[in-house]
Amino acid sequence: MEEKAEYSARILIVDDEESILDGCRQALEKSGYQVISTSNGPDGIRLARAEKPDLAFIDLKMPSCSGMDIIELLSKEMPGIVLIVITGYASIVSAVEAMKKGAYDYLPKPFTPDQIRAVTKRGLEHRFLKIEADRLREEKERMERSFITFVSHEMRSPLVTIMQYFESLKVIADEGLAPNIKDIIDRCEKRLQSLHDLIEHWLDLARIEDGSFSENKAPLILNPIIERSIEELNPLCQKREIILDACLDDDCVARIIGDYESLIRVFTNIIGNATKYTPPGGKITVRINHDDYYIYVHISDTGTGIPQDKLPFIFEPFFRVKGKEERQKGSGLGLTFVKKIMDAHNGKVDVSSQEGVGTTFSLRFPRLYEIREPIRSSP
Amino acid sequence: MDSKKKVLLIDDDKDFLLATKLILEKGGYEVFLAEDGKAGVDMAKSVYPDIAIIDMMMETWSEGFNVVSRLRTSDTGKQIPLIMLSAVDLQGPYQSFEPPDELPTVDLVLHKPIKADELLKFVGQLLR
Repeated sequence: MEEKAEYSARILIVDDEESILDGCRQALEKSGYQVISTSNGPDGIRLARAEKPDLAFIDLKMPSCSGMDIIELLSKEMPGIVLIVITGYASIVSAVEAMKKGAYDYLPKPFTPDQIRAVTKRGLEHRFLKIEADRLREEKERMERSFITFVSHEMRSPLVTIMQYFESLKVIADEGLAPNIKDIIDRCEKRLQSLHDLIEHWLDLARIEDGSFSENKAPLILNPIIERSIEELNPLCQKREIILDACLDDDCVARIIGDYESLIRVFTNIIGNATKYTPPGGKITVRINHDDYYIYVHISDTGTGIPQDKLPFIFEPFFRVKGKEERQKGSGLGLTFVKKIMDAHNGKVDVSSQEGVGTTFSLRFPRLYEIREPIRSSP
Repeated sequence: MDSKKKVLLIDDDKDFLLATKLILEKGGYEVFLAEDGKAGVDMAKSVYPDIAIIDMMMETWSEGFNVVSRLRTSDTGKQIPLIMLSAVDLQGPYQSFEPPDELPTVDLVLHKPIKADELLKFVGQLLR
């Protein structure tokens, strides 16, 4: 509390007995506190509002107004203030009552200057600790937010530049590269791409946590979203000779409340995963259907499948199902992202799988009933 | 003298400028570099580029938009195609910046890093 030593705490005393006011004032001013006082309840409230004291002594029994009411009012209005009741010996019960209403401590009459100083010291310590705790919590939140900015600037930017250099390297070298050097460049690029994906996914997750995503929710139809995700992954599937088949219920105009872009990423994540684990000649099927309450999307592949004992963990961050052969590694955050986005949509994601046969991801979205809001069909 | 088309590149990352310049030069363009928004706007007035490529995030989150606005209101920048570069997904759900009320129009938004063949393809298309 050293930095507070020079700060002179402000203390309000509200008591109808002038002698008590004088005694308190003398005792506290001697210790270097600023003291303001009044013998009138309503004045006490006005003074508290105007002067914003750190701590206030309130007499419970005053003719003008009930100390209990002042306690109740100030503890609601000024959450940081430390309230201490002054009470006669006979009214310990009401002191307890006052503490329930927000008082921090009580001071029984009669009291000595040392006693009031001790109670004051303890009350102020409590206040400064609370202020310090609030400050630290704010600092922590601020650091978490700026960490997102830090990651995007200090990690992503250089990475992007390195990737751009690789692009230019390939262009400059043209066809003149020895195959082994070309192979090294390809491998470097793959690793860079994984790192880039990892940072992007990590940022996605961080932004879900900081809540900025829910503001973009609007009523929407899932079909166009799935279509766009499929469009995005079609080239990859063709390259890997995987059939990507969508059975979209054409008249499914049931809507959900959702965020367009993050839902696209949900589907590209799951379908993209399916392409990784499905051998050439395999098939990925996307089906959508609905009932009165929910819209369901099932994404099935004929891939290697996920072992039963691994299924419960696949949504955990950085969990990967190791394949027999070396494949392009994912970030390990893709399905975590899917799960968080589904949670944020009050949805559900389930997975069933059989090794050697395939895997099915089932997504369930709650249907929207209101039909008056405009449909958001594009971003 | 051949009539190489002129590309103006504005980005505060020197290395990104160099990497992108190499690609564009390989594509047969004459490339001019500016390391901040003001230098870019000034340079546009002296070199009369045929196309400009502007990074969105420079000194501030949206400095690129200011540059685009200034180019669009200048004689040299009024007619030419403008490409905005962005490391963030502009259409993404979580823009953490406040875009200006009225977004100046660009012809294309590309995300970093840009594949060499895509960059050359788009620049070629816009200059056609």
